[in-house]
Amino acid sequence: MDIQTSKQDGVTVVALSGNLDGNTVNEAQEKIMPLLSADTKSLVLDLKGCGYVSSAGLRLLLMAAKQLNSQGGILVLSGVCDEIKDVMEMTGFSNFFKSFPDISAAVAAVRKGGA
Amino acid sequence: MLRVDLHPTHVSEDGKYHLRVGKPLPFGASIVPGGVNFSIYSRYATSCKLVLFNKHEQKPFCVIPFKDEFRIGNVFTMVVFDLDYENLEYGFYMDGPFDPRQGHRFDKTKVLMDPYAKAIGGRDVWGKTPDWNDIYQHRARICFDDFDWESDHPLETPIEDLVIYEMHVRGFTRHPSSGVKHPGTFAGIKEKIPYLKELGVSCVELMPIHEFDEFENSRVSPTTGKMLMNYWGYSNVGFFAPKAGFAATGKFGMQVDECKTLIKELHKNGIEVILDVVFNHTAEGNEKGPYISYRGIDNKTYYLLTPDGYYFNFSGCGNTLNCNNPIVRNMILDCLRYWAADYHVDGFRFDLASILGRDQNGAPMHSPPLLETLAFDPILGKCKLIAEAWDAGGLYQVGSFPAWGRWAEWNGKYRDDLRKFLKGEPGSLGGMAQRLQGSPDLYSWEGRGATASINFITAHDGFTLYDMVSYNGKHNEANGENNSDGSNDNYSWNCGWEGESTDPAVNKLRMKQMKNAVAMLLVSQGTPMILAGDEMANTQWGNNNAYCQDNEISWIDWSQLDKNRELFNFFKKMIAFRKAHPVLRSSGHFKNRDYMGSGFADITWHGQKAWNVDWSAESRMLAFLLCGMHAKGGTVDDNSIYVAMNMHWEMHGFELPKLNHHMQWYVFANTDAQPPFDIWEPGKEVRIENQNEFLVGPRSVVILVGKESK
Repeated sequence: MDIQTSKQDGVTVVALSGNLDGNTVNEAQEKIMPLLSADTKSLVLDLKGCGYVSSAGLRLLLMAAKQLNSQGGILVLSGVCDEIKDVMEMTGFSNFFKSFPDISAAVAAVRKGGA
Repeated sequence: MLRVDLHPTHVSEDGKYHLRVGKPLPFGASIVPGGVNFSIYSRYATSCKLVLFNKHEQKPFCVIPFKDEFRIGNVFTMVVFDLDYENLEYGFYMDGPFDPRQGHRFDKTKVLMDPYAKAIGGRDVWGKTPDWNDIYQHRARICFDDFDWESDHPLETPIEDLVIYEMHVRGFTRHPSSGVKHPGTFAGIKEKIPYLKELGVSCVELMPIHEFDEFENSRVSPTTGKMLMNYWGYSNVGFFAPKAGFAATGKFGMQVDECKTLIKELHKNGIEVILDVVFNHTAEGNEKGPYISYRGIDNKTYYLLTPDGYYFNFSGCGNTLNCNNPIVRNMILDCLRYWAADYHVDGFRFDLASILGRDQNGAPMHSPPLLETLAFDPILGKCKLIAEAWDAGGLYQVGSFPAWGRWAEWNGKYRDDLRKFLKGEPGSLGGMAQRLQGSPDLYSWEGRGATASINFITAHDGFTLYDMVSYNGKHNEANGENNSDGSNDNYSWNCGWEGESTDPAVNKLRMKQMKNAVAMLLVSQGTPMILAGDEMANTQWGNNNAYCQDNEISWIDWSQLDKNRELFNFFKKMIAFRKAHPVLRSSGHFKNRDYMGSGFADITWHGQKAWNVDWSAESRMLAFLLCGMHAKGGTVDDNSIYVAMNMHWEMHGFELPKLNHHMQWYVFANTDAQPPFDIWEPGKEVRIENQNEFLVGPRSVVILVGKESK
């Protein structure tokens, strides 16, 4: 799994490539959770390069979102493929996320103050 | 907090895995800090090994014996550290005596599934042919138990206010005409929630969703050439796991989340969920059946055995679960608590529940400990408990099922008596009068009340509603048993032609009979249950036992909805009418007197003459009046409701009971009239010209509302 962190218009963007599953979830967790310091108010997770997110992977996304929510911030997704979107819909995870077609739309929404 | 037990104390023989003694409770596999806690009971096993597989792989990657110090009493328990538990499947090898006469059937070569497995792989996608060479067919998995329910809570709707809708998860949306994205799945039902809301039902009862094997006893039908499967699933592989093949995400192992999401969404829309649970037997069959779990773990504990060590067969399915053995009793309790607490399930319907009241020799008990435990359990305290109060061993307990004020019953007598009355059978008036009142003849003892009665005309067992008015006899040839399976006591009438008919008169009568049936069901005291698809006249072409038909015979054909809008509309408005009128939903039985000073008793009986019923055997006419001031024991005010039922083949005038001053009769439904005059919106009933008499058509039901004239 390749995990790239960048800033776009002042918003932190984490781009995940590969499969986010039991094999990679710990690595992703180690990289993402430190980004959620108390003064972080927003994060965009880009899944464009992600073909599959397992149950453990979806839980990591939700945990990160809850962490940010608890400090008054927001986590949004971008570039989620249809199949993952569909799985998230059926398993209830979609209720917790706003999702945008690409990074710039996600960043713009976050900058507008919470999508 | 730092914990000492984060540190392993032992290493597996191959040096790869770190271990320590586990916790015996809870049974099963639990995620603990750093690893997984495994715990399994066996009284008679002499040793046990944990077998670990990577998902879908045939060869285990590791076998770890439980060391002597890892056994506490009769429980083997250990923690294995650093497992990729999302990709894990686990089982057990158990060694012990093979001595069938003593009840023991240990076989240390078989990989056995954990009875407490919370997720089970091996049949991840419905109908996908398994690899029969796989030594481990039903594979225990570990699942996350951290589903985010947010503020969801079981709805705790009073049982008398429910309208139950019985469905098969796959059959409900599998037909291409359903139009859902993922046909035949939990997700498919979720897509149909707007439909359920429009119909107005307030509870779905799901036929078995515990993991079962659709390939159990699969074979090709000699008549249709189609594959016959274990479609209904009344045969558990595991009690704690949802059927993976019912989830569109089963192929990703996410069936638990998909099932919970469905329940959460149903709750959000005011719809409860009752599960049909099958604790009377398992999928292991008799001595010729496979080793899946229980037989190889502790045969003598889990099954009722004859003195010679063979399997008692009170279930008609090869074996009988030893429900009143304390270990099995606890497993059943753990299972129900798990579904109530972790899945937010609102209630349970127990298949062949009378077996749950048999002792370890198979004899019926007076106060069965299992049933009493369930009735008083704190976690199940608000769950509906519904018994199918009979079994295949000849025990029939409708009206006498041990209840402790908690248990309701599928009222089989309701079904039979209503069907007899509907077809105009002589001598059916007395029974029908009891059924309309919530069967006080069956349930007035010990104050059980009308809520003990789950009223139904049709259920998965037997004809659909349309078939009940279209077939005199069953047509089960496609099941491959020479039409010898399925009930012969259907009390059905084909309205003059067996099967599909092009005769408009026959079809018109069938439509009317279906409306009559649902009208009577929804004005009866007790809790009504509807079979999914009946509202669109779904047919199984006369098959009254479609347990093995995973095809158009049992899938609901949604194209029928457009053809039968008239019937759907009638169902919908009858349900709305029931909801609008508390006088139809008493929890207790009637007192048959006027305790509100209204001038009318809570219920009064009428016929062609008001206040006068011809109860003779040849009479087929009955009317009753529910006094609105007596609604819910006089605690709420409602309109009065008069229902006239003429099951004679000729039209008859019914003299109407005279209402108090300012009150007038309004017609809500008349099954003899053509749409849109067959039924009105509740509250928008039409005042009738003649307030003294109503002409009720042949084989027709009329429902009037007595309210203040505007």
